[in-house]
Amino acid sequence: MPYHEFDCSKVIPERKQHAVVKGEGEDLTSCLPKGYLNTIPGSISERGCAYCGAKHVIGTPMKDVIHISHGPVGCTYDTWQTKRYISDNNNFQLKYTFATDVKEKHIVFGAESLLKQNIHEAFDAFPEIKRMTIYQTCATALIGDDINAIADEVMAERPDVDIFVCNSPGFAGPSQSGGHHKINIAWLNQKVGTVEPEITSDYVINYVGEYNIQGDQEVMQDYFKRMGIQVLSTFTGNGSYDDLRAMHRAHLNVLECARSAEYICDELRARYGIPRLDIDGFGFKALGDSLRKIGLFFGIEDRAEAIIAAETARWKPELDWYAARLKGKRVCLWPGGSKLWHWANAIQEEMGVKVVSVYTKFGHQGDMEKGIARAGVGTLAIDDPNELEGQEALLRLKPDVIFTGKRPGEVAKKMRVPYLNAHAYHNGPYKGFEGWVRFARDIYNAVYSPMHQLSGVDISKDDYATDKGFVTRRMLSDASLPEADRASPLTGYTGKFDPIEALRAKTDADYPQFARKSSPQAAE
Amino acid sequence: MAGFKKEKPTARANYPKLHASDPLTGFDAETREKVSFMENYIMKNCLWQFNSRGWDRRKQNEGILGKTTKLLLGEEVENETPLEKCYWVDAVLLSRAFRERCAWLAGMGKDEVQALMKILHARIDWLTIDGSLNEELTVQNY
Repeated sequence: MPYHEFDCSKVIPERKQHAVVKGEGEDLTSCLPKGYLNTIPGSISERGCAYCGAKHVIGTPMKDVIHISHGPVGCTYDTWQTKRYISDNNNFQLKYTFATDVKEKHIVFGAESLLKQNIHEAFDAFPEIKRMTIYQTCATALIGDDINAIADEVMAERPDVDIFVCNSPGFAGPSQSGGHHKINIAWLNQKVGTVEPEITSDYVINYVGEYNIQGDQEVMQDYFKRMGIQVLSTFTGNGSYDDLRAMHRAHLNVLECARSAEYICDELRARYGIPRLDIDGFGFKALGDSLRKIGLFFGIEDRAEAIIAAETARWKPELDWYAARLKGKRVCLWPGGSKLWHWANAIQEEMGVKVVSVYTKFGHQGDMEKGIARAGVGTLAIDDPNELEGQEALLRLKPDVIFTGKRPGEVAKKMRVPYLNAHAYHNGPYKGFEGWVRFARDIYNAVYSPMHQLSGVDISKDDYATDKGFVTRRMLSDASLPEADRASPLTGYTGKFDPIEALRAKTDADYPQFARKSSPQAAE
Repeated sequence: MAGFKKEKPTARANYPKLHASDPLTGFDAETREKVSFMENYIMKNCLWQFNSRGWDRRKQNEGILGKTTKLLLGEEVENETPLEKCYWVDAVLLSRAFRERCAWLAGMGKDEVQALMKILHARIDWLTIDGSLNEELTVQNY
């Protein structure tokens, strides 16, 4: 096994099994780090907790819901508004956050009455919202508060409301991934099958593992609607609580982030016979293939091809403009989970960069299998890294840019390595054909922006060259390009600052109307 | 709790091993090169081979590579269930990619293509199931 031992972790020998370098001739039977294990004592993990994984990643993107944490207020602060999963109802779930604010006296005397009071107050404050999710936290789990009993009492007193209870306290797993698992299964057990939806198309999907980061879901939904497909529910970005209760009526589960949401797809397949189709919404080829597969499944591949042709013609030249300028740039691809495999091959093939390292904070060995399979020889793969290991890797690998979360991103910035936010994005959406160009634009700006060089200058000392502070694109990225590329009239991305606004303005009349082959009953 | 079909196939985690060693070992250099090329395409561009449990991977590999083989041989593919149809869509994309990228397929006889795909199937099973280092493949629940 080609393990990599960090100098800084020699005092934690168990860490050696959590990093590998993919060597020539290595494959998945000889090169795979450990994963999804409890963090080793002494290693300061970058992971979140199981409560955070349930609430922050999966629960809270649901848009028409009061999301309330039953616990100390700090838990809520740390899971609020830090990930830009926007919604088309004026971002209700981002603007308002709720917590029962458990204190020492509640730990001693119990917090169930406090919870009930908070639930009523929240519903009274927002009378137009009739749905709620409640999240257990470590403190209230340990004192044994029965959240389900309180939820049942409130639902009996308020027949027009519906409440989902998520029992995933912070300690319920090695990382946030434990929370993903728990809320997947809890939602399926408690809520799926409790609403019968209106079926409006012959082709009905659940879009699963998609969290509408800066509008990703709305971009993909637009493609599906252009194909005449009904998106019955999205689990969970921009998703509606009641739509998600009707997941059992879809014909196909289209799965994006398998790391966070494969569980519900696998169980929907086992319990309801709905197939699971894994897709990649990132990258021209992967996205094109994904739309083709969905089209093939429903016998409407021609509709997918029409979209792929139009979008490729519009955006591919601009992607290529960036690819010419990003060729060979070294990337550390250090996201939380699924993006290490969503992006590893696509950014190399379509943007010309070289991935020198992949890591995952909370991924499982299955994620590393996908990531290592898609990465090239020499790639350093790290599971559950700590900050010192990250610094050591950056010093050794000397990347031109790093894609990661904002905490390790801040460390990278201090080390003068440009950083892009892999979780919440910089200027997303990154999904879709246009989104992929936006990602390339952000990478280009991260790599070449003079700001990064200037950030190394101590301006309190008046000894830097005052005549060299301004550089242009032609000096930065184009100097070594072939003449044909330099002569190109293109200048990169030409889309709008906010591409989502136009999508939200579309009405049914803006989408093609396809005659249905079957009666509504038959489709169901 | 909503009603649903209950299924507790705990035995599913005890699926048998099919390969004790790399099935590609012992084949001639040309065969190894062809299989490696096809394997590399799958690993770089597909996700179906990496479902989280070993029993699912077995079904996925068999379903998709089995249908891919039929498509490459020009045989009719029957999709009697939605699950079968789901295998088929991945198989269609894979067979198109192989036809486009593996020009040598056109010069091979049907028996040769079938034999090559059998080796590829064994190799993918080896990498993703039987030789896999993934310790979660035999976890009983999803």
